[in-house]
Amino acid sequence: MLTVLIRRELLNNLMTFRFAAAVLIMLLLVVANTFVLIKDYEQRLEAYNTALKTEHRRSQDSKTYSSGRFNVARPPNPLSIFNVGLDKRLGNEIGISHGFVPTLWDTGTYKLTNPLLNLFTSIDIVFIFEVVLSLIALIFSYDAIAGERERGTLRLVVTHPVRRGQILLAKYISAMLCLLVPLLMSLLLAIILLTTATVVSLSVGDFLRIGGIILSSIVYLSVFYLIGMLISTVTRRTGTALMLAMFVWGFWVLVYPNAVLTAIAPPQTSQARMVSAYEEIKQIWEAFDRERKQFLANDAVPGEDPHLGMVGADPNFNQIWGSGYHYEYFHRDSSTLRYDYHAVSNIEKLHEASKPQVPHAQDYYRFLGPQIVNAAERAWLVRKQALETIFVQPAILDRILLRGSPVGMYDAATQAWAGTDLRGLRDFFEAARRYRRTLIDYYYDKNAFGSQQWFSADNGAVDWDRLPQFSFLRSDIEINAARALPDICLLLIINLVLFIGIFLVFQKSEV
Amino acid sequence: MIWHITKRELYDNLNSLRFALTTVLLLGLMLINAIVHLREHPVRVQKYHDAATESLDRLKSRTNLYQIAQEGPGYLYKKPSSLHFCADGGEDFLADNVHGGFYAWATADLAGFWQLDYMPATLNRKNIRPDTIKIDWGFVIGYVLSLIAILFTFDSISGERERGTLRLTLANSVPRHTVLIGKFFGALVSISVPFMLAVLMNLLVISTSSDVQLGVETWSRLAIILFIPILYLCLFLALGLLVSSRVRQSAASLVILLLIWVTFVVFMPSTLASIASGFSPSMTYDEFNERAIQLVNELKGEYDARLQDMPEQSTKKIELSGEYVIRDVTERERLSHEYLTQQHAQIQLARSVTRISPVVLVQHLLEVFAGTGFERHQQFVENVQRYAREYREFVSDMDRADPDSLHVIGTYEGMSKKPISPESIPMFEDTLSLSRDFNAAAIDLLLLTLFFVVFLAGAYLAFVRVEI
Repeated sequence: MLTVLIRRELLNNLMTFRFAAAVLIMLLLVVANTFVLIKDYEQRLEAYNTALKTEHRRSQDSKTYSSGRFNVARPPNPLSIFNVGLDKRLGNEIGISHGFVPTLWDTGTYKLTNPLLNLFTSIDIVFIFEVVLSLIALIFSYDAIAGERERGTLRLVVTHPVRRGQILLAKYISAMLCLLVPLLMSLLLAIILLTTATVVSLSVGDFLRIGGIILSSIVYLSVFYLIGMLISTVTRRTGTALMLAMFVWGFWVLVYPNAVLTAIAPPQTSQARMVSAYEEIKQIWEAFDRERKQFLANDAVPGEDPHLGMVGADPNFNQIWGSGYHYEYFHRDSSTLRYDYHAVSNIEKLHEASKPQVPHAQDYYRFLGPQIVNAAERAWLVRKQALETIFVQPAILDRILLRGSPVGMYDAATQAWAGTDLRGLRDFFEAARRYRRTLIDYYYDKNAFGSQQWFSADNGAVDWDRLPQFSFLRSDIEINAARALPDICLLLIINLVLFIGIFLVFQKSEV
Repeated sequence: MIWHITKRELYDNLNSLRFALTTVLLLGLMLINAIVHLREHPVRVQKYHDAATESLDRLKSRTNLYQIAQEGPGYLYKKPSSLHFCADGGEDFLADNVHGGFYAWATADLAGFWQLDYMPATLNRKNIRPDTIKIDWGFVIGYVLSLIAILFTFDSISGERERGTLRLTLANSVPRHTVLIGKFFGALVSISVPFMLAVLMNLLVISTSSDVQLGVETWSRLAIILFIPILYLCLFLALGLLVSSRVRQSAASLVILLLIWVTFVVFMPSTLASIASGFSPSMTYDEFNERAIQLVNELKGEYDARLQDMPEQSTKKIELSGEYVIRDVTERERLSHEYLTQQHAQIQLARSVTRISPVVLVQHLLEVFAGTGFERHQQFVENVQRYAREYREFVSDMDRADPDSLHVIGTYEGMSKKPISPESIPMFEDTLSLSRDFNAAAIDLLLLTLFFVVFLAGAYLAFVRVEI
């Protein structure tokens, strides 16, 4: 009996104008935007590759250990074509040095293009689904029950020995089958375009992730279909059902996600918390500076300037002197709680007069290196917690608020699959921090802190080739799945609740 | 007769579910808009005020002409608009200042002169909050009002045809165009009423607060702004009537209208903008930086050797140093201006192309009259450039007035050493001119009207020829 009902519904749905229109519009929008998105990705990938090349050239210029400061670049995520998330927005280049633990707030941007382009909102495939799929689902469902009731055909069906649950199920299954056609067709076309584009290289994991995105899309689609069906069961007339459905759509898709974040005040960054954290970090570095000065005062040649007289005494940034440069400074930025010390010497040829100073300088740097690393680690512990409460928690709260609408859940789930959500991007900074540890281990390995090559290339330049290269792999598919799971479950629960609701209302309603 | 039909439509609409939902939705959105404005605007104004005063104080503390000429006016700030609630205009992504300051030079005895430096707003790089569209009037009108207009008109003709009441009406020797216009006005009034109600409530909430004050000029701008949503509403009503009279079933008519709406309102602006911005790419920041470094090095190579050969303190040397400094400033400024022009041209092109979408037109119009957004930003940059000319003229005038000076602007030795009273220094004033805004808005206004006329004519033709 169920199959008969399904067949009838399918035929009813497939031969309609709205079905043709839905397929057409989905294909049109998805294909047009996929072209644009692929082109955009291509540009970003090119920028990334040039950034890698420039960085390689730059690192060759560092002839001493202390001047080794590497910029690692974040590659663009090919799945950002599906859901761009934060991938395009956040900084994509970060400096690694032993004296500083990098975070999301210390990034730069390679190949910065026109910053005014931010004026235009950028869309991705998931955004199209968010808007159009939900609309199509509602258009398909608003008259599912109310329409039949108006025409009187519902009464006819019910007179047959069919259970009411079966009618609902048949309607649901057949409509979902119909709705899957535009969804899958457009996605398939998008994937074909992606695979034919030479720049985009997708791994097996990526295809599985796309599978996850498709799964989330189906669940999302079903939520909106069921919302429409509920409206259709509750109301008597199709006109009313349609109006209600449209306003519900307008509210959940258009108004709520934008209104909730505007209306709810961004939590004031607690100034007291900022200041206290900054003070704490400052104290760590000031204690470091005191110890440094004390060391200089108590060592074999007391009373000299901290530059050991090897290059100019002027501590100005980037002072060029003779054959090389030396600078040291504290980088301070209270708005991102940044406070760290940099001392870089890149002396290509030592002055004859400063040769006797070399062992002395080696002693100093042997002492200084681990001190800087320690101070940086201690400051990081404070900074990490402060940044977490001041910046990350409000952003997470925002995302929880957005989940008040199914659109928010769907968006979060697909971002998690694509790896363009906050957690996915923080993986990169985690990798950058790990790379910093690699660099420090390398220094210890080579006994770099106490060597002459730390500050001078007199005995030959440093060979950086032995340092492991930085590489960032996106998180495993299991992690993506685990991150997407809560939102998918939420959507599934909504589905179930809606279906039960429809069933109960329909059981009791008069035909 | 028109009045009869309008009245009937009005009664129909006022009792309907959609009217109630529209009222609730519009009132809610406008209330949010007002509350957010009251919360954020005083902060914005305070920030501007503090920053502008600080920069002004620094300017006034300069006493000698060389200092004034070398250090420049410092930061010049964009005045926040008190109509920010009408259109946000993506202000977060536009810089709110232009820096008129100087760079440190490597050579010790010469100091670089000030120049205009257009720094971008780079707030986005550290922003991890999810991005959303701001709830301003632009959103309420552009997205919500147009959707409502469609929901009010999709069945106005096809629905009556389905029910058979249209045949009845036309049997009463009523000309068809009267029916059409009656329906049009009926829908217009029944949407305008809740919209105006929401607008009035919004303005009431905003104007009762003592923190936010709207002046006479602002109110006149508001009067113009209020005219725009009506025109926009008419456009979508005409579109709705056109589709409704062409299509037999009201369900099909709604599907078509919604798909048109989604394409033109939601997707067209951003898709077209991405395509169009690819046509005139601006130079990247790296390229700009490279050219700047190259420029500095070229000038250094040209002048350094010549300057070293000359005897100290000679007039010739002073003159050459002055020439060096001024050339450095003009060429660097020309480069940064070129960079800015390229960026603006890219945006301008994308903005022109997206004018196909009516929602873009209405947002442009609201931005222009509210004094926010890109158009306003360009005006601000023009103001800054005009002020920079004025400032430089002031310096050369003051120098020329002093007979003891060598009249070599660019070096301390070559310039007047008479004290300057801080009152005589020109001050930056960021002004808005309504006539310029009208010029900028003219094309958008015309296009919007054109769309409306085309759709209305289409609706008329379709309805006159259709079989009932």
